[in-house]
Amino acid sequence: MKKLEDYSEDIYKCTKCGLCQSVCPVFEATGLESAVSRGKFTLLNGILTDKIKMGKNMSRYLDLCLGCRACFEFCPSSINAEEIIIQARHHSFNINGISFVKRFIISNLNSRLNLNLLKLALSIYRKSGLINTANFIAEKISFLKQPVCVFNSQIKETIRYKKQKPVKSDSKLKIVYFPGCINNYINPSVKNSVKIVLEKNGFEVNIPDFVCCGMPARSAGDFKTFKKQAEKNLDLIDDNIDFLLTDCASCGSIWEHYAEIVDDKYKEKARNLTAKAVNINKFLAEIDFYIPENTEITATVTYHDPCHLKRFQNVYTEPREILKKIPGINFVEMNEADKCCGVSGTFCVVNPDISKAISVKKAENILDTNAQIVSTGCPSCKIGLSNGLAIFNKIMPIYQPVELLAMLYLKENNNKR
Amino acid sequence: METAIKNLKSVLGNENVLTSYEDRYCYAYDATALGDKLYLPDVIVLPSSTEQVSEILKIADKYSMPVIARGAGTNLAGGCIPLNGGIIIHLSRMNQILEVDKDNLLCRVQPGVAVEKLQQAVEEAGLYYPPDPSNLKVSTIGGSIAQSSGGPRCFKYGTTKDYILGLELVLADGTIIETGGKTIKNVTGYNLTQLIVGSEGTLGIVTEATLKLIPKPESKKVLIAFFNSIDNAANAVTGIISAKIMPATLELIDKYTMETIEKFYPTGLRTDMDASLVIEVDGSQETVDVQAKRIESICKSYNACDIRISKDQKEADDIWFARRSAFGAVAKLGPNVITEDAVVPRDKIPTMIREIRRINTKYSLTACIMGHAGDGNIHPNYSLDLRNKDEMERFEKAVDELFNTALRLGGTLSGEHGIGMTKSKYMKKALDERSIEIMKSIKQVFDPKGILNPGKLFY
Repeated sequence: MKKLEDYSEDIYKCTKCGLCQSVCPVFEATGLESAVSRGKFTLLNGILTDKIKMGKNMSRYLDLCLGCRACFEFCPSSINAEEIIIQARHHSFNINGISFVKRFIISNLNSRLNLNLLKLALSIYRKSGLINTANFIAEKISFLKQPVCVFNSQIKETIRYKKQKPVKSDSKLKIVYFPGCINNYINPSVKNSVKIVLEKNGFEVNIPDFVCCGMPARSAGDFKTFKKQAEKNLDLIDDNIDFLLTDCASCGSIWEHYAEIVDDKYKEKARNLTAKAVNINKFLAEIDFYIPENTEITATVTYHDPCHLKRFQNVYTEPREILKKIPGINFVEMNEADKCCGVSGTFCVVNPDISKAISVKKAENILDTNAQIVSTGCPSCKIGLSNGLAIFNKIMPIYQPVELLAMLYLKENNNKR
Repeated sequence: METAIKNLKSVLGNENVLTSYEDRYCYAYDATALGDKLYLPDVIVLPSSTEQVSEILKIADKYSMPVIARGAGTNLAGGCIPLNGGIIIHLSRMNQILEVDKDNLLCRVQPGVAVEKLQQAVEEAGLYYPPDPSNLKVSTIGGSIAQSSGGPRCFKYGTTKDYILGLELVLADGTIIETGGKTIKNVTGYNLTQLIVGSEGTLGIVTEATLKLIPKPESKKVLIAFFNSIDNAANAVTGIISAKIMPATLELIDKYTMETIEKFYPTGLRTDMDASLVIEVDGSQETVDVQAKRIESICKSYNACDIRISKDQKEADDIWFARRSAFGAVAKLGPNVITEDAVVPRDKIPTMIREIRRINTKYSLTACIMGHAGDGNIHPNYSLDLRNKDEMERFEKAVDELFNTALRLGGTLSGEHGIGMTKSKYMKKALDERSIEIMKSIKQVFDPKGILNPGKLFY
């Protein structure tokens, strides 16, 4: 495992050209030199040369990074700020620990019991009609309206699972599906959709009882928890699978880091499974998925690129291809489609004002397209998109491409009936 | 000091006044390679209005604190370095385009707006702001005014100074004045506007600028021509200009630069050649075609071995990609890059490049030589490691020789980066004593306490 010191040459070679300012969403929102990678490299160089202490101030600055990798794309010196900042957070974690909020989130994600309790509570909230009562009350009380609407839109189960009759011959491929915590415990719509779409196309899916992928722990610098989660997940998967399917952009991008953190006995398995991990959009684009005749979803749709999908997994043409293939969809591109939505895991909790400012920019770009539906490839981006839209008093349906495809299949079933 | 900071906080609010050691450390540099020298400011302020800037200067004046204005911090001559501590005014939040006036062909902007953002906004209105410093994605109009920045297109269109009609300026004691105005013609008194342009933050802080715009050229075409000797390339430049053709850009790339670009960003440059010219012509569709053909035949007559002309926007972008990748490529050669900025009369370019190559060999230094050949502005980009004391000593000697050569050939110290702290020691060689005296007297009038960007320009 690399340490911060191992990056000293990378940190030193930043030429201070400042080009990172042009793409950094946090800089755009704050105007602070400490927000941008150039500033962070200067500070980290100070740490490595004993001019600055890794104190509370430093950990606050290290939190001012979305990890979106936008600056890495064209850094003249090709410095991967995101990777270095995570190492620096680990360094800070060992000295300063982490904030209560982060600790709270990570420890809950680490507890199956707590997650299942949350799942149960949300399910009662949905089914008992409390969700409607909350909506009703929020309508009357203005300061509650926004947060309640955003919350309810995030947990609403828009797509229910229904067993599908395959339209293609059974595939022999062994597929394991990693749904991620949000899809597993908070909103099952995406998970339902993946099951529907795969079944329809003749694939069987196996969903082991996974734990959190470890992304939140890794980005907070808590490598101990990350390691535990990585090893537990590896234990749950067979070596001889053909595909490890992910739909959450963040969960999908973490696998490449498993091999660096796990014990030696897990390393080969980690490498092997990383090579088999594939995002659902890429998977679907490569199989010739079923398109029903005489069924349409009539809507103008735009797409937001999750950072963890475009810049970490190089998946950005595939979701667009899927959307364009769905009959009835009029696809429109938004400006700055690949700019971060502002959520970035715990960033939105630690820096709510900055996160909101970034989400507002995203919402402006969405609204400019006059689309009726926003599509994206990550459940946590959905939060950012609806946060931003809520500022403009707009509630828009936000779906992953696979959800729209599942809707199309369900609609066809209904038409036939 | 503490009272001053308290006053600043009461004017700007606590969150806009930064005093922690880490924050000060973040504002101790710009894009200039400083090595391990550290010049910490005492406090950083982020104003959002002219009135706030004025209040900041009143406080600075009262407590005699140095004041350094900072835009994107991309200066290459140490212009933003707080040599004597003091207050850094970071103008990142004053970044609005206030008005694009299509009827009068002008716009009004705040100093923190990035040049590219401004260009995009005016081009949407069919207008054009030509100065294009290479870091235009981030570098600001305020910084452009302070340094009178240039760029490739300035050969045809002139530099920042040719596009500033009027300024709103906060003086050292906090007084707000306006210079120039909205008119192209203006001979009412001394031209204070032009005095401020290029004054590197030593005379006042610009808080608003009125810029002249021109209609956007209808069409563009880019050529790249490869030559087996740099003399032929330079002669072709003279050939083009003496044929009374004014391309928008006339960029020269030397052999080693081409090799370096190809190493990191392969685009098919002819590395077997000694030099290449990147020439962009613009104007109406017909004139662009005619100019491109004439330039092609002139380059041929100077023994160009290979000429490529863009047929569409993509091909044009590909050619520019190669030129624009040069800095990134040099940055990958070693840990640090230092970009120098000498300028000589146009016909002295081959001599200057030969001399630079000779000097670099003499001091065993690695440099990619590129530049705006049309206006005699040459940028050797040195790949170095600042931690290597021996290399740095050799570099300093080489730079001394470089500027002596530029001056001997009738050129000067800087075409577009400015003097800042790194070149102030050469000022006496470049200017006569009386000129420097006059400049210093002007400085005295504007800034009697010497608080505005102290230690810059004059040694």
